[in-house]
Amino acid sequence: MTSIRTYLIVALLSTVALGNFVAAVYGYRSSMIEAEALLDSQLNDAVSLIATMRTVSTPLVDAPSSLMAFQIWSADGKLIQRSANTSDAPITVFEDGYRDENFEGFRWRVLSRFDQQQQRWLLVGERIDIRTQLADKVILHAVMPIVASLPLVALVVWLVVGNGLSLVRKLAQELGGKRADDLSRLTTSNPPVELAPVVDAINDLLRRLQESVLRERRFSADAAHELRTPLSAIKVHIHNLRNEYPDETDALRTLDRDINRLSHLIEQIMLLYRTTPESYQANMQEVDLHALAQSVIGDLYADIDARQQSISLTGSAQTVTGDRDSLIILLSNLILNASKYSAEGASITVHVDRAELGICLSVADTGPGIPLAEISRVFDRFYRVGGDRHSSAADGCGLGLSIVKHIGDLHHANIVIENNADGPGLTVSVIFPADFQSPLIFTRHSAC
Amino acid sequence: MLVNSVIIVLREVLEATLMISVLLAVSRPLQLASRWLAAGLALGLVGAAAYGYFLGPVSNLFDGVGQELVNALLQFGTYAALLLIVFLIARQGSQPYRNSRVLPTAMSTAIALAAAREGSEILVFVTGFLHMDNFMPSVGLGSFAGAAIGCSIGVLFYYFLLAMPVRRTLRIALALLALAAAGMSAQATRLLIQADWISVAGPLWDSSGFIAEDSLPGQLLYALVGYEATPSATEALVYTASIALMALSIFLGFRAAGQVPTRVQ
Amino acid sequence: MLKSDSRPGARCWLISIALGLAVAAHAATPEFEIEIRNHLFEPDVLVIPAHTKVKLIVFNRDPTPEEFESFELNREKVIMGGSKAIIFIGPLPPGEYPFFGEFNPATALGRIVVQDDGDAG
Repeated sequence: MTSIRTYLIVALLSTVALGNFVAAVYGYRSSMIEAEALLDSQLNDAVSLIATMRTVSTPLVDAPSSLMAFQIWSADGKLIQRSANTSDAPITVFEDGYRDENFEGFRWRVLSRFDQQQQRWLLVGERIDIRTQLADKVILHAVMPIVASLPLVALVVWLVVGNGLSLVRKLAQELGGKRADDLSRLTTSNPPVELAPVVDAINDLLRRLQESVLRERRFSADAAHELRTPLSAIKVHIHNLRNEYPDETDALRTLDRDINRLSHLIEQIMLLYRTTPESYQANMQEVDLHALAQSVIGDLYADIDARQQSISLTGSAQTVTGDRDSLIILLSNLILNASKYSAEGASITVHVDRAELGICLSVADTGPGIPLAEISRVFDRFYRVGGDRHSSAADGCGLGLSIVKHIGDLHHANIVIENNADGPGLTVSVIFPADFQSPLIFTRHSAC
Repeated sequence: MLVNSVIIVLREVLEATLMISVLLAVSRPLQLASRWLAAGLALGLVGAAAYGYFLGPVSNLFDGVGQELVNALLQFGTYAALLLIVFLIARQGSQPYRNSRVLPTAMSTAIALAAAREGSEILVFVTGFLHMDNFMPSVGLGSFAGAAIGCSIGVLFYYFLLAMPVRRTLRIALALLALAAAGMSAQATRLLIQADWISVAGPLWDSSGFIAEDSLPGQLLYALVGYEATPSATEALVYTASIALMALSIFLGFRAAGQVPTRVQ
Repeated sequence: MLKSDSRPGARCWLISIALGLAVAAHAATPEFEIEIRNHLFEPDVLVIPAHTKVKLIVFNRDPTPEEFESFELNREKVIMGGSKAIIFIGPLPPGEYPFFGEFNPATALGRIVVQDDGDAG
């Protein structure tokens, strides 16, 4: 994956380094040329100085300094005077000008000049290695700051680029932090020019998404609502038909069952869309789950008893913040599911208690359970374990658990579905946060 | 001393960094993990240290031309690796490369050989001045600056290559690799001439008045395409033949990929 | 002239590749010696005959390494401290061919002067 930050930092640093170092090298080189010109003019001065020296008859050996050398030759090629660090051989050719020469184990910058007044050659040399070292040392100090500033420049580039990209990071954080069902506008205020189109496009997308979600909900709710009336009418008609044709009971019973199934489905769809987050927050109140479970069990007892199943309530009184009506739907869905998918004679246990992470409501049955591979899909709308050939042959539309999940989400509750460890059967646990305002964050699936 | 160190290190570094830039830029569309670079560089550094350490004895081999022969061998080796690399790249097109370890291995080899040859010279240079206190600041600074300039040019060149459409990046990369490889085999030939393993007549032409080899453009061209101002006929011949061989390899690669229609027999 | 000269060169190259052998005639090659001492070339001017291949032997008397380098001669060779190096040069047309020690370019400078046989002393 490419990183804008890495790209910017590396490319900028390379440019800065390239510019700095090339500038430093060029600066060094032109300074070096300048320094050499200066040293050459000093050499010229030295020749002028030597020109004023009195000539003696015998070759005189002077030792001014090991870094300079000189020779004075007569026009007819006789050595008149020399410094100690030269031999009797001429150190350069007798021709006006600067030259580089090797002698005495060093390389010298040599100036030869013919002294017109006294008709003699003045040859003066200066050691090149010393000159170079000297100039090197001086210029190095001038160039060093340019190079030394580079780490500082690198640090500033690093910080500046990081700061420049922090707005992108902020936007990404806001997007990443959004809840799945939160389709509200991004709040990034005053986005930079480069990000404004992105923010606008995302907001536009969110708006259209929200509209289509609302449209879908409204449509489902409206459709369900509209279907209720004709269904009721059909039910009445079937009732009448059964009275009229007592012999056709089989066909009519099947028809009756299908119609009942259809109305159940429509009721469930309406439940699902009645409890939307918007309509919801207002009705939050303190609810005693244990007491609520007791009353729901009371309402459903007849149905359960009809299947010769037993039901028991255990645990203690626990209060959660929630919507009473939704919680009743949640409880009845769980209990009816347990009853529906367990064989006759099974037992159902409803348990309400304080758990490590919050308040736990669990409904356990002694039915067949759910194969592991399918557990994650049971919350999908219209999904039924085993498909249409469901083993229990029970009526159902596959909306029960997805309504449970929906209501659970509204309560910031976490739902865990597990097959019983100590025997056949399924346990569905709903764990409500102890404090509604601080939702649970689960790092692992944990039942009660 | 400073400029001198800059030039020495830059000359050696530039050739390798430009090759690395091109290969890295090619690795992106082929989705090659850049592990090959780390492996190639590590191997190259070890090779450079070993070669630099034994440069004295190596030079004395083969009647005193061991250095030329080893360098020529390394150059020809790089050429061979690049010959294989351009074929594989041309065959791959811009599809992710998941076929085998051949391409990354060839890339590592090319980098390792180049780094060993050029790194050894830098090591010999820097270690030669290590004990001289009055030289060290400028040699150290100069070497660092040279390396920094070389790497910076490489980085910018890499981003320049990546900024283009993928197909063009690949085409340019192939052309550059072919030219650089031909330059290497010409250099290797020059080393064999220097070692007197090949006899030549005088230079074929002299373009130093046009682009001097020691000028900045001359150095860049040398690193990029193996520029030489006064080549002998043999070098020119080898250079041309090497390019032709590279072009053939690329052509065969394209044909294997089905990008060039093959004639029905 | 260059064209006729280039042919044996190319053929030699092919043969040397084919046989893996050095085919050049070493015996006839004149030898010249240069010393590196205190980062100086001694002598710093070397006269060699034109159109002739010569064998240059460079002794590095310094403890530090040096790189014999010449853009004009197309030669480049690292010479370790206290060792010698053999470099073949030419054949070359008459002219001046500067060379330098790349590790000490301020002082290690020299040039090869290629002269026609009649002028070479």
